Amino acid sequence: MPGPGYEPAEGRQGSSHLPSQSTATTTADAPRNAGREPPAAGRPGAGATVVRLAGVGLTLASRAGDVEILNGIDLDVPEGQSLAIVGPSGSGKTSLLMLMGGLEQATRGSVKVAGQEFSGLDEDSLARIRSRAVGIVFQSFHLVPTMTALENVALPLEFRGDANARGKARSALAEVGLAPRIEHYPAQLSGGEQQRVALARAIVAEPRLLLADEPTGNLDGTTGRQIVELMFALGRRHGTTLVLVTHDDRLAERCERVVRMADGRIVADTMAATLGAASAGAST
Amino acid sequence: MSVDVDLAPGSALPRSGMPRLRIVSLALSELARSWRGFGILIACIALGVAVIAGVGALSDGLRSSFERQGEVLLGGDVTMSRPHRRAMLEERAWMDARGRVSETASLRSMMRRLDGSDQALVEVKAVDRVYPLVGALRLQGMATVEDALFKGPGAIVDPILLERLGIKIGDRVQLGNAEVVIRAALASEPDKISSRFTMGPRIFLSLASLESTGLAGPGSLVRWRYALSLEGATDPAALLAFREAVRVGLPDAGFTVNDRRNPSPAVTRTLDQLRQFLTLIGLASLMIGGVGVANAVKAYVDRRRKVIAAMKSLGASSRQIFTLHLAQVLTLALVGTAMGLGLGLLIPGVVDWLVAGALPVRAEFAVSPGSLGLAATYGVLVALLFALWPLGRAGEIRAAALFREEVAPSFQWPRRIVVAATIATALAVAGLAIFTSDRRLVAVYFLLGIVAVFVVFPLLGMVVAWLARRLPRPARPELGLALGSLGAPGGLTRSVVLSLGAGLSLLSAVALVDSSIVTELQTRLPKNSPDYFLLDIPPAEMSPLARTVVHAQPEARVDEAPMLRGRLVSLAGRRAEDVKAPPEAQWVLRGDRGLSYAAEVPAGSRVVAGEWWPTDHAGEPLVSFEAELARDLKLSVGDTVTVNVLGRNVTARIANLREVHWESLGINFVMVFSPNVLKGAPHNLLATITLPPNVPLAAEAQLAREIGKAHPAVTVIRVKDAVDAFNAVFEKVMLAVRAAGGVTLLAGALVLAGALATAQQQRIRLAVILKAIGGTRRQILTMHLVEYLVLAAITAVVALGIGALGAWAVLTYLMKVEFTFSWSAVSQAILLSSALVVALGMAGTARVLSARSAAHLRGE
Repeated sequence: MPGPGYEPAEGRQGSSHLPSQSTATTTADAPRNAGREPPAAGRPGAGATVVRLAGVGLTLASRAGDVEILNGIDLDVPEGQSLAIVGPSGSGKTSLLMLMGGLEQATRGSVKVAGQEFSGLDEDSLARIRSRAVGIVFQSFHLVPTMTALENVALPLEFRGDANARGKARSALAEVGLAPRIEHYPAQLSGGEQQRVALARAIVAEPRLLLADEPTGNLDGTTGRQIVELMFALGRRHGTTLVLVTHDDRLAERCERVVRMADGRIVADTMAATLGAASAGAST
Repeated sequence: MSVDVDLAPGSALPRSGMPRLRIVSLALSELARSWRGFGILIACIALGVAVIAGVGALSDGLRSSFERQGEVLLGGDVTMSRPHRRAMLEERAWMDARGRVSETASLRSMMRRLDGSDQALVEVKAVDRVYPLVGALRLQGMATVEDALFKGPGAIVDPILLERLGIKIGDRVQLGNAEVVIRAALASEPDKISSRFTMGPRIFLSLASLESTGLAGPGSLVRWRYALSLEGATDPAALLAFREAVRVGLPDAGFTVNDRRNPSPAVTRTLDQLRQFLTLIGLASLMIGGVGVANAVKAYVDRRRKVIAAMKSLGASSRQIFTLHLAQVLTLALVGTAMGLGLGLLIPGVVDWLVAGALPVRAEFAVSPGSLGLAATYGVLVALLFALWPLGRAGEIRAAALFREEVAPSFQWPRRIVVAATIATALAVAGLAIFTSDRRLVAVYFLLGIVAVFVVFPLLGMVVAWLARRLPRPARPELGLALGSLGAPGGLTRSVVLSLGAGLSLLSAVALVDSSIVTELQTRLPKNSPDYFLLDIPPAEMSPLARTVVHAQPEARVDEAPMLRGRLVSLAGRRAEDVKAPPEAQWVLRGDRGLSYAAEVPAGSRVVAGEWWPTDHAGEPLVSFEAELARDLKLSVGDTVTVNVLGRNVTARIANLREVHWESLGINFVMVFSPNVLKGAPHNLLATITLPPNVPLAAEAQLAREIGKAHPAVTVIRVKDAVDAFNAVFEKVMLAVRAAGGVTLLAGALVLAGALATAQQQRIRLAVILKAIGGTRRQILTMHLVEYLVLAAITAVVALGIGALGAWAVLTYLMKVEFTFSWSAVSQAILLSSALVVALGMAGTARVLSARSAAHLRGE
């Protein structure tokens, strides 16, 4: 259950509401490791909770009956934190990410993102929240194939009626190193370039929360690493909270906090200081 | 270690040895497991085949009804008829020797209330006691024909006449110079269909009563008809023998012979032409459906790229891949064809149920193998025509496709054999259309129209997509996205534009032809045509009649001309029945023609070849022939023509050719003789009255009544009523054409639905992405709506242009009617097109908007 006095000056960094049967190591207020991503800076209100999930469950209907995807998820993500969600296939990682993006509606519990309760909102309200506060990067890039890189990046701003959408999109593309290719269509770009466009599109509206679903899953190692560098750098520069789903342990290790899932539950929630030990424990 | 592999040039690799039968069975078993996704393909074929089969079945059913009921419809085994002259005693004896004979006389006249307050044009039929030889004349109520007609001067009338004149059974009315008593109301007339074009309600008299009216005097426009029940054999050979006997036994009598195999040649001819035309329209909808076939096959081949590549990597040849998929498509085409045939067979029943009254007879269930065969052949040929090309691409997919994605497969020509087969199939379809049509030129024009549509609309699709890609993107994201979708390479633009454009072009053309003809008939006439035709004016009555008219309407103009009816017997030494005339000139050779004579060139005519005769010409019989028909019948100045007038063959030399302005509806004749030829023959006059503009209706009615009162034997026909009567028939035909044309739009809608279904996944993906980056449903909806409306509007405008061009060509070159643009046709086309695209598109959009984002956004 979420505690009282949740927003905005709660300041309980890294806290999580884990179910009592959890076997996870819970670490509160752990010091940040120097080798990991430093905290985001320069954003007003840093330290507030950007994502708060309380008692969240997701059940989907299928022909074979109801399938429980997520159950009893309690999770708070403070402003500026980088969080990796890991776990085996089918453990509910992506579903959890989709809930945070408002792309899936929880069947139980409360999802609050950037101070906004998601339950009871219709699709359009959720879309409007995304256009203001949430950027998303997908494994398959999901660019609009009939639009140029510039148009793709300007789109979220245009949706919310920003008069300077093109100008900002140009800057965002310059930030990801694609200034010379802004007039190219997705089909004319490499996979890495497409993911950079997607990244620019996700951060162009300066969201408080950046969600990434296997952002390197469709890229080769080198390109994947470049994208990751870029993503973290952008997150730092803009003070964005970063939640990413990954299978890649090395990518997860770069985050300040790692949440491990199994069977639709959070089974471990590890801060950077204890991450190495937890991994070692898991491998023995 | 090395292995010797001999791949030197010339050493043949073994050909794949899978027998063709095995490929086919593999294809079928594969198909049996993947039926889904082919609904549209099957429906596209079924729809077009259903129209062709349905039109054939309806026509077969009507024809069979005609043949089976021919004896009743005709009133006997054979009929002999001619204008003006009753059969003479020896002619009647000739008939009586061959079977039972019934004699009837029919003419148009006026029936008046005794107080002269009202009158109506009626179609008089005077009969003898044995009428009808076959079937029965049915009356309403308890009256018998014997009591009604043969006990004093009685009449049986169409009930509508009672209503129109405000009279009842038992009342007396004026007919010609006699009074007759209305004794009964008509329920049904057995041989109605064998009558010519009727303009008024029917009234039956006895021949004796007709005589007392004085309407059937010498020179009056009465048609004498003799129905015979032949004794002995009445098989087709006997019927032919009878015709021959008439030709030999009564050579100059001028009788037109009909037999029960075809009781109404005019009706059967109209039905035949209508069937051929509707078959072409069915072919058009099949061709539009063909686009759906091509789309479906292309989508199927795209879906199966990996499977085909895998087969190739296992050693399948291009030919085997092609054969396998061809077998599948052919199977689907056959299923569609079979369903179409089944549906087509239901059409006569449905038409009979919907518009039984509009048909000349009830359609029986009788289908000829020829009709079904034609529909099936078209179905399979059109399916092949549109499937071969995309199937050719299937054969060319390389095994390497397994290992890499081709983002946008480049355009690739299929093998030469596939291109050749496609061309051969197209030629076969065209050949079939042309050679099963009596009016081949119409078929050729129609095919050219289809080709134009198939060239123009894909081009238009390309232009729209090209423009959409090059136009600057508007700042509003919905508009920018709509423009993006319009320009997308695999987008809907080409499919929508072609599928809808073809049907809309045809419908616009039909609507514009229809409205032009109606405009021509209704609004153009009053300006330059007479208001009344007066028939059967005895020459002595002409001057008093003209005085009556001018007295009532001082500004009225009266034109007159002598009028007889006669039949063309021979032209330039060739017998009329042996002359091969083009379809548009055949009417001149059939039945009776109005004939006239004149000392001077008639008004509304212009001599274009030869010389007009001197006013006092007294030498060789001369005739002036209408120039255009003369050209069609290959007649020129100096040739002779023989006509049978009043039972006598008259041969005259063509002295000149005249150009006639038919549209004026003034007094015009194909043949005008020099006065010395016909002046001596008993005949009446034909006159027209042209009223000044803006004569009130009441004054017109008053004029008609005064003519009726003073000249009871004269028949008064209001031109507007005659035009309306023609219009009513014309509208029935146009209804059939519109219904068939509507099916082309339905075919277009099917293709569109198929294209939308194929694009649906893409659209869902796009919508989900847009929602993920902050787009609302309203914004996505607006984007779709803008895209659909732009497509619909562009398609409608171009379709209207093509339709107008087609309508203009048909009206100008085939119908000789002035083209009128109709804004209502325009708005109908645009509305219909927008409604269809938006309705179909938005049905898809509803599903797009309700798609679960998460399911589509997960990593692949």
